[in-house]
Amino acid sequence: MHFLYFDPGLGAMIIQTIIAAVAGVILFSKNLMYKIKLFLGLAKKDKDDVFDDIDIKDSDIDNN
Amino acid sequence: MQSKNAHASSFRDPSGYVVIDDNAVKRVINPIYFKQYKALTETGFYQNLFNNGLLIPHKEISANDDRIIIEAEKIPFVTYPYEWSFNMYKEAALLTLKLQKYSLEKGFSLKDASSFNVTFYKGKAIFIDTLSFDFYIDNSPWRAYKQFITHFFGPLVLAHYHGSQMLKLLSTFMDGIPVKMISSLLPTKTKLSPTLYSNIHLLAKLEDKHNEDYNGEAKIGSLSKKGQLNIIETLYDYIKKLKLKEHSEWGNYYDKTNYSDSAFDEKSKTINQWVNKLQPKTVIDIGGNDGTFVRKLQQPLELALVSDIDNNAVDFNHKTMKVNKETFMLPFALDVLAPTPAIGLNNKERDSFLDRITALAPDVTMALAIIHHISLSGNVPFKRSVEFFSKFSEHLIIEFPRRDDSWVQRLLNNKADFKDHFDFYNLENFVHAYSELFEIIEQKAISDSKRVIFLMKNKL
Repeated sequence: MHFLYFDPGLGAMIIQTIIAAVAGVILFSKNLMYKIKLFLGLAKKDKDDVFDDIDIKDSDIDNN
Repeated sequence: MQSKNAHASSFRDPSGYVVIDDNAVKRVINPIYFKQYKALTETGFYQNLFNNGLLIPHKEISANDDRIIIEAEKIPFVTYPYEWSFNMYKEAALLTLKLQKYSLEKGFSLKDASSFNVTFYKGKAIFIDTLSFDFYIDNSPWRAYKQFITHFFGPLVLAHYHGSQMLKLLSTFMDGIPVKMISSLLPTKTKLSPTLYSNIHLLAKLEDKHNEDYNGEAKIGSLSKKGQLNIIETLYDYIKKLKLKEHSEWGNYYDKTNYSDSAFDEKSKTINQWVNKLQPKTVIDIGGNDGTFVRKLQQPLELALVSDIDNNAVDFNHKTMKVNKETFMLPFALDVLAPTPAIGLNNKERDSFLDRITALAPDVTMALAIIHHISLSGNVPFKRSVEFFSKFSEHLIIEFPRRDDSWVQRLLNNKADFKDHFDFYNLENFVHAYSELFEIIEQKAISDSKRVIFLMKNKL
């Protein structure tokens, strides 16, 4: 059920198909580059990074 | 269904509304959202987000056919997007994308992606709009996509190119910065970036084109879940890597001060003696830079607000907070000469800084090495600045750099011909003006410096 209490923007709804295609290409080439770098031993982790990965883990344990 | 006592910012979403009842934050859920609420509760969706500290925890306190009432954990001080530093903003954006990805995996979807749905609590960004999750409909695009661009992605990219001051735009454009404006503000070279071109420039073009489609003739395409996840993941990667160009300019502030090591230690020792005696649970350090001084306090604190006018200092504080995994620290940007105003419908949707800080009433206010900036750079008479400081705390610890202090001299010399107009700036006038509203309990001149620190008690 959708409540349209704000305007999602018609253009923005239509364009997502295109953006998703572009995003697919970006992710594909990125993974490819990463695999090549990994193969050549060039992959490194950013030490300054304080942010996690995108995934949220399912857990019954309280992480706080 | 809307209640008379609904919170002034809670009227857009028909799923429910927030009421502040006897200092508790309660959310009334309307029958229209029962199905979603039950699914989110029964599948353990809410619980897992609570466990991960990503959604403000709530408990159900009553339920009948007309409404379900839940009580949410109360956040003592809510900060708004236009008070965040660049990396705080980033953290909030990444949280929103994280939640959307998790929602999609569990068969839900965020129905809005407003930056006001996030705030900072216990050292991290947390989502506070419990009713923002809806069922995912197969192959439908993300309804909140444009909102994400105008509330998060756009402002962050603008800040990357033009500096962190861009983040303040949200206080004017509460509903997000218009896509067309984001597009026009970005350098032309950004059109060469596939991510920026598709998510901003192309979006602006299409929004423009369909602006006049009043009859709803255009067809909304379908988008596979995989496609939507692709968008979310590229945005996540892009934002995660975004950096502020000006960041490197922020040197070591404490190297630039005119303090000798012994004077700094004496100042810190004296403040600790006073604070240990007062045993505060909450403090606010106004002009607290990167939080260095608050971290020197021996007294364990529940909450320490550290504000500074310099977005980069706030950013540095945020980073230290993340690295040390501190839960008591809350950094935010604040200009004492123009504190965050109340905005939105009836001027009541987002509270002013003064309203929020008066409600919190921190036990101690610290104002170290800031009065000369307020008085001399801001041309603020003592009797006006004391009004500000007297509004929220019982105790005030304030540092006064005397007229012969090198920083004060520098500020005075900047005044050139008007230097004489600032004759009022001396210790005697300061004490006189501040004694009107405060009782001076202790005062101590820091040796090897031209500064005096005061412990004062509010007379109000």
